[in-house]
Amino acid sequence: MNGAHDLGGMHGFGPINPEVDEPVFHEEWERRAFAITLAMGSHCKWNLDMSRYARESMEPAEYLSTSYYEHWIHGLELLLLEKGFLTEDEIQQRMSDIAAQEKT
Amino acid sequence: MSVLTPDRVQEVLRKGGSARLDEKVSAQFQAGDQVLTRNINPVGHTRLPRYARDKHGVIDCDHGVFIFPDIHAATGEKTGQHLYSVCFTSAELWGENTKHPDDLVYIDLFESYLLASG
Repeated sequence: MNGAHDLGGMHGFGPINPEVDEPVFHEEWERRAFAITLAMGSHCKWNLDMSRYARESMEPAEYLSTSYYEHWIHGLELLLLEKGFLTEDEIQQRMSDIAAQEKT
Repeated sequence: MSVLTPDRVQEVLRKGGSARLDEKVSAQFQAGDQVLTRNINPVGHTRLPRYARDKHGVIDCDHGVFIFPDIHAATGEKTGQHLYSVCFTSAELWGENTKHPDDLVYIDLFESYLLASG
């Protein structure tokens, strides 16, 4: 698909500046995003190309303003909903629970 | 693939997954052949980038037979296709005013993205 992921040839993003001694994960949640994505992949309800397509399906403006592992989580969420592992309500409920916990 | 148990995690991660298929598929192209990429705009997954559509290039090498991702993403079916490294000049991809027209770009492309040319 002609999505926001197909960046080749686009101007205006500035230079690529590789970090010195870049860590594998910049945030603890990225480590979990990676692990959960791989663990769910082992259910074999989808394949690598399907998970790439799920990431590409992100709304273009959102895709360009979010990080690599946010794309992963978006793709995983989409697949979990599509394949019936989770419902939208369950995700919303869990987010509310976590938000409530963080307030206390 | 079987269920991923904790004792197999290290092994599976180290090995990774290969999309190579052990299938005999006849190759339409060989190194040195001139090709033109198709101008396709599928709504599904594709690995032919927009900047490399409707461009002339030369087959550099044949990597062998791999799962064609466009179909794999849509239906899960593993259809084998030859995957080639295709060489394009910067001038062909980016136009006449490009700063380094003789620079070369090599892109791995599946056979069904390519038409015979030249």
